[in-house]
Amino acid sequence: MAPLATFDRATLGYGRRAVLTDISFEIPEGDFLGLVGPNGAGKTTILRALLGSLEPIGGSVTRAPTLRFGYVPQRDQVDYSFPLKVLDVVLMGRYDRIGLGRRPTVDDRRRAHQALEHVGIDRLADRPLADLSGGQKQRTLIARALVGEPNVLVLDEPTNGMDLVATTQILGLVRELHDRDGLTVLMVSHALNEVSNYVERIALVVEGGFRIGTTAEIMTEHALSQMYGIPVEVNSVEGHRIVVARRRTDEAAGSRV
Amino acid sequence: MFSTVLLFREALYGALVIALACSVIGVYVVLRRIVFVGAALAQISSAGIALALWLAGAGLALGGAANPTVVSLLLTLVAVLFFASGTRGRVPPDATIGITYSVAAAVGILLIAKAASGEAHDIFLTGNILGITRRDTLVLLGVTVPVLAIHALFYKELLFVSFDRETAGTLGYNVRRWDLLLYLTLGVVIASAMQFAGVMLVFNFLVLPAVSGLLLSHTMRGVFFWSVVSALVAAFVGFSLSVPFDLPSGPAISAVSGALVMVSWGVRRIAAYG
Repeated sequence: MAPLATFDRATLGYGRRAVLTDISFEIPEGDFLGLVGPNGAGKTTILRALLGSLEPIGGSVTRAPTLRFGYVPQRDQVDYSFPLKVLDVVLMGRYDRIGLGRRPTVDDRRRAHQALEHVGIDRLADRPLADLSGGQKQRTLIARALVGEPNVLVLDEPTNGMDLVATTQILGLVRELHDRDGLTVLMVSHALNEVSNYVERIALVVEGGFRIGTTAEIMTEHALSQMYGIPVEVNSVEGHRIVVARRRTDEAAGSRV
Repeated sequence: MFSTVLLFREALYGALVIALACSVIGVYVVLRRIVFVGAALAQISSAGIALALWLAGAGLALGGAANPTVVSLLLTLVAVLFFASGTRGRVPPDATIGITYSVAAAVGILLIAKAASGEAHDIFLTGNILGITRRDTLVLLGVTVPVLAIHALFYKELLFVSFDRETAGTLGYNVRRWDLLLYLTLGVVIASAMQFAGVMLVFNFLVLPAVSGLLLSHTMRGVFFWSVVSALVAAFVGFSLSVPFDLPSGPAISAVSGALVMVSWGVRRIAAYG
């Protein structure tokens, strides 16, 4: 089966300034990929190229004709001063399907309620978006992405600014959408420790460097130390991977947490 | 008192049409935080009127080229293209707005100072609501009706790109084009209203009624409704008070509009504690 998106030796950047060079990878159907790296490393550049809002300087980025994104922006990209109910926001995910100058139908509203039910907050449909908690707002944005019936769900820093409980719930929900519905998922995040325990593959972007592989391939001390340029440890606590930078004293003693 | 007001009913109708047009677009102006773009466009529009008067005074009028509304509209539309383009290199957006506002205000005053028609400078600030004729009102309606029709027809598109432009872009919306449409309607309304309402009242109508709407409602529909209602009430009450008390109409309407914001704020506080 043809991949949904293919980066072929792509050079990405702004104007003539290249941020990343020679990027090659594919997103096959059913993938659960984490695009991970520190802020400023180039994650957003890759994301923009994938979404089509940034043309590659060199190489190519190809998208399947059937590709439809369900995009979940960073929560602070959305302006909560707009007086919108949760259902109004979710309906936006169908605006392009509804067509220019036309209003949402009963069927559109039914689908919007279904999407809210899918993410567990249909009871909040008539509440003002601004009144919701961070986790509930994120669920609303995920429901909006789902209601457009996408084949790739793209989430940009979905757990930014969330506490441990909300983070766990949102990441759990995303994994459920992948496992239960077979949805292809791309999750962009700076939080390696959070994402690596949920996704199946990781694309690691660090200061112009790019490496992609299965979680098991990327989450090794050797690969991560090479990418980050400092010695790191990968520990396992009750099946969860935790990556920490190795301190000098740890190095001397060869100890592990 | 009311019979005196009726003598100027054509002017009142004109003020109500301006109030209607500005208060609808003002909801986007406030929500998109482009309040000072509105102020700058109003100032540029007034500079356009000054330019037309100067051209007429200097004997440079060619057909409709010195018609104040035409010149004002052309200048405002150029500014609209500039603001809607969005990219200004290293100059921060609010500084660009400040430069435009300041230069437009200065140029307007300089042109008026040298215009042979001898119009007073303050007419650009306070407007000349009482001078509105039936023909002017029809022209204002001719602008307002299509603008409101565009906003009604493309409500969901304008809302989406205003609320979350990034996501709208991923669904295939050409965000820049929709921005341009919004700015164009804003520019057309400002340019057509400026000659009568002046910078102060146009700016007031673009901001204060929408703020009242936001204080009184939690839905877009409600915000539009209360924005329009408060603008119409301000226009009617302010105008009706200005005529018998011999007050300038623009500032009187602006003052009532300000009072309505305070009332809306009070209602919001009471509702919050209730």
